[in-house]
Amino acid sequence: MTAYIVRRLFATLPVMAVVALFVFFLLRLAPGDPAAIIAGDDATSEAIAAVRAKLGLDRPLVEQFVVWLWALLQGDMGVSIFSNLPVTRLMAQRVEPTIALTLSTLFVAVSLAIPIGVVAAWKARKLVDRLVMGFAVLGFAMPVFVLAYVLIYFFAVQWQLLPVQGYQPLSAGLWPFAESLILPSVALGVTYMALIARITRASMLEVLQQDYIRTANAKGLATDRVLLLHALKNASVPIVTVIGIGIALLISGVVITETVFNIPGLGRLTVDAVLKRDYPIVQGLILVFAAAKVIVNLVIDISYAFLDPRIRY
Amino acid sequence: MAVITDDLAPSAGRQFSLATAIRRNPTIAFGGILLALLIVMAVFAPLIATHDPFKLSPVNRLRPPSERWWFGTDQFGRDVFSRTIYGARVSLIVGLSVALISSALGLALGLACGYFKRVDGIVMRIMDGLMAIPSILLAIALITLARPGLGIVIVAIIVPEVPRVVRVVRAVVLSIRGQPYIESAIAGGTKNLKLLLRHVLPNTLAPLIVQSTYVCASAMLIEASLSFLGAGVPLEVPSWGNIISQGKTFFQIAPWTILIPGAFLAVTVLAVNLLGDGLRDRLDPRLARRL
Amino acid sequence: MSAILEVRDLHTQFNTLDGVVRAVDGVSFDVARGETLGIVGESGCGKSVTALSILRLIPPETGRIAQGSIRFEGNELTALSEEAMKSLRGHRISMIFQEPMTSLNPVLTVGTQIAENVVRHMGVPWSAARERAREMLDLVRIADAKRRLDEYPHQLSGGMRQRVMIAMALSCDPQVLIADEPTTALDVTIQAQILDLMIELKEKTGTAIVLITHDLGVVAETTERVVVMYAGRKVEEAPVEALFENPLHPYTRGLMRAIPRLDVEADAAGTRPRLQEIPGLVPILTRPIVGCAFAARCELATDRCRATPPPFVDAGGGHIVACWEVKL
Repeated sequence: MTAYIVRRLFATLPVMAVVALFVFFLLRLAPGDPAAIIAGDDATSEAIAAVRAKLGLDRPLVEQFVVWLWALLQGDMGVSIFSNLPVTRLMAQRVEPTIALTLSTLFVAVSLAIPIGVVAAWKARKLVDRLVMGFAVLGFAMPVFVLAYVLIYFFAVQWQLLPVQGYQPLSAGLWPFAESLILPSVALGVTYMALIARITRASMLEVLQQDYIRTANAKGLATDRVLLLHALKNASVPIVTVIGIGIALLISGVVITETVFNIPGLGRLTVDAVLKRDYPIVQGLILVFAAAKVIVNLVIDISYAFLDPRIRY
Repeated sequence: MAVITDDLAPSAGRQFSLATAIRRNPTIAFGGILLALLIVMAVFAPLIATHDPFKLSPVNRLRPPSERWWFGTDQFGRDVFSRTIYGARVSLIVGLSVALISSALGLALGLACGYFKRVDGIVMRIMDGLMAIPSILLAIALITLARPGLGIVIVAIIVPEVPRVVRVVRAVVLSIRGQPYIESAIAGGTKNLKLLLRHVLPNTLAPLIVQSTYVCASAMLIEASLSFLGAGVPLEVPSWGNIISQGKTFFQIAPWTILIPGAFLAVTVLAVNLLGDGLRDRLDPRLARRL
Repeated sequence: MSAILEVRDLHTQFNTLDGVVRAVDGVSFDVARGETLGIVGESGCGKSVTALSILRLIPPETGRIAQGSIRFEGNELTALSEEAMKSLRGHRISMIFQEPMTSLNPVLTVGTQIAENVVRHMGVPWSAARERAREMLDLVRIADAKRRLDEYPHQLSGGMRQRVMIAMALSCDPQVLIADEPTTALDVTIQAQILDLMIELKEKTGTAIVLITHDLGVVAETTERVVVMYAGRKVEEAPVEALFENPLHPYTRGLMRAIPRLDVEADAAGTRPRLQEIPGLVPILTRPIVGCAFAARCELATDRCRATPPPFVDAGGGHIVACWEVKL
C-alpha cells in the first residue's frame, strides 16, 4: 500500500513539471515583448525596461529558467510587480476564504447529490427521477455568475434573508461566517451537484441490473441495505472519479463566485492580477491551483483501492 | 432480460416524417430546434433588433422593460434587447469555432497518440499537464499575454479544450486497435495510414461528434465567464458576458441587465447540451450507459 | 407427502415494445416437503421466470404475475405484503443462481454476504452470524473457512463461489431451495461435486429443492419428480424413473433423443445413431398460442392440436401429460 502511494506520488511529478514548464515559457515565448504587454499599452519605455529588469527577462532563457525553478523549489514564487510583496505572502493572506468556500461547497454538493442520484436510480423513470434529471440538465447549463445573481436577487435583495456580498472570517463568529458562505456555496455547487447526481444515477442504474443485486434481493435484505451497501459501494468508483474531475470545475467557479460575492480569496486575487497583468501572481496561482487539482486526483486514485478490493496496487 | 430497443423493432414500411423523427429523438429535436432558432436570431440580428445596440442615450438610462425597451436599458441607455440579440453572435461564433477547431486538433492528436507509441508518451504528458490547470485559469493566463480580441479568446479557450477531445479519440483508437478485424488487417499487410483512415477514423466519429457538442457548450460558458471577469472580448462588443459584467454595478436597481442575457446564455448552453445528450444516446449507446 | 409449495395456473407476463410476452402461461405444480423436483425445458421456456415468480422477484417495471396462485405452507404469496415477502426470502425460501461469477457481490467479503442473511432473518448479533457463516462454509466443505470469511469473491474459484452461494442460501435453514441452473456455468467435474453436495445437504436438512435445468442428465441423477415445460406451459410431469422409461409427450421424447448415449451399440461401420434435434423454433410468446404450444414443431400434430389446447391425461403413478395424440 505504501509502495503504491509512493508510486502514485511520483507519477504526479511529470504533470507538475509540465505545468511549471508551461507557466514559465508561456510568458517568455509569447508573441511580442512580454515586458511591454505586462507594463500595459500606455507605458513609457522606462517602465517597460523596469519590468524587464524586474522579471529578469533581459537574461538568457536558460539562466532565467534555472533561477526561477531553483527559487520555486525553495517556495519562492517571486514578487508582485505592483505591490512588490512576495507572491507567496499575498496568496497566504487570501487562502482562508477560498478554502472555506471550496470545502463548504464540496461538502454540501456531495452530501446532497449522492442521495439524490441514488433515489433517482431507485425510482428510475418515475416522477422523482424525471425531476432530478431535469434539475441536472438545467444545473449543467446554468452559468455560475447568472445563478449567483438570481440567488442574490431573491435571497438578499427581495427577501433580505442573507447578505448580498462579502465574507466574514471564521474568527468573526460561526454564524456570520456560515451566513456569508451560503449563497456562494449554492451558486458554486449547483453545476457540481448536477454532475455528481447524474453520474451517481447512471452508475447506480448499471449496478442495479447486476446479478448480485438480484442475489441480495433474493436474500430478503432491506431496501436501504441493498441500495446503500450492495449497490452504492459497487457504483462508487465512477462517482468518486467525477468528484475529482469536478474539482477543476469548482476551482474555475471559485474565480467567478469570489468576484460576484466580493470574497477576498485566491479567485479574486487571480482576477485582480490578470486585470493588472501582474504576471508573477498569475504564474503562482496557476501552479497552486494545478497542484491542488493534482493532489485531489492523487487522493482519489488512492481511494479506489479502498472502494474496490479487485483493484490491486 | 433483453430489452428490445426502438432500433431493433421492425421499421419496414415506415415512412420518414418529421413527426416520427421528433417522437423518436425528442432530446435531439428539442435541442436542435432551439439552437436553430438562436442561430437564426444571431444571423438576422440587424433585422430583429429594435434599436441600435451601440447607441448611447443618457436620458433613457436604466429604464425597466416596457413597450419601447422590451428588456429595458442599461446604465448608458442602450437597449438591452438589441444588445442581447447581437450578443448571440459572439457566443455562437466562439462556441462553434472552438468546437470545430478543437475537434480537428484533438482528432489529429488523438489518432497519432492512439497509433504511435512514441508520440503518445510525449503528447499525453503535455495533455495531462494542461488538464491539471483549471480551464478558466488557463484561458485567462493566455489572454493576459495578448491584446484583447475575439481571436485570442477563441485560441485561449481551444487550448484547455483540446486535451478533452484527445483523450476521447485516443481511448477509442486504443480500444479499436485490440479488435480482431484490425489485427487481421495488420496481418494482411494493410498500410498504417490506410488502416487509420478506413478502419479507425470512422469509429471515432460518433464519440467525437458527441464530445464536440460538450466542448461547444463549455466554450460558450468560458467565453461568457471571461467577458464577465473583464478578460474576454473587448468591452465595446455586446457579448452576453460583457452585458452582464457591465450590469453588475447597477444590479440591485436594474436586475434585467443581468437576468435577461443570463437567461439567453443558459438557454443556449442548454440547447447545445441537450443536442449532445440526444446524439450520445443515439450514436454511442455504450457511452450513454456510462453517463 | 404434503405439499409445502403449491403453484396453480401461474401466468407471468412482461411488457416489451413488441407486445406482452407470456413467459409463463398457466403452470401448476406442487413441491412436497423434502423432495427434489426438477423443472426442465429449453432456454426461454419460462423455467427461470417461474422460479423468480415464486419469490416475487420479477422486475416490477417490466413484468408482473398476471394470474394464478402460489401457496407456501398454506399462505398465498401473491397476496403477501412486500415486507412479509422480504422476511420469507432467503429465510424460508431461498434461491441460488446460474452464474456464481456474477451472483456474489464483488466488493463485500464472503463472510459479510453470508452473515448478513443470518442477521437479517435470525435476529442474532453479527458475531454469532459470523460464526454461523463459518459453520456453513465448513458444511459446504470449503477448507480453511475462517480465512475464507474475509476473502472477496474474486479470490475464489467458480466452484467455490457456488459453494458459497449454497452456504448462503442454506444459512437460515429454508424449507425450499430453488436452484436455477446451479451447475451450468461450472466445469463438468465440478458440476458433479456441487450436485452431490446439494443432495447430501438436502438429506441432512430436509430442505425441498426445486432444481431448474435444461440438462436431462442432471435431472436423472438428482431429482425425484420432473416437470417438463415448453413455451411457458407444463407439458408433462412424472416421477423421474417413469419419465425416462416412458416419455409420453412428443417434446419430452424429442429432448431424450437429443441426449448423447454411450449404451447404444455402434453399428458395423463404427458409427452410432445420429443425435436428433427437434426441428423448428420455440414459438414467439407475444402472440397468444391457440391449441398446443408444441404443435408447430410436432410430427404428430393434427388440426385438433392446432385448434384446442390438450388437457392433461393421467397415465397413472403420478405421470400426467398434455397431448391429444398420446396413446395410453
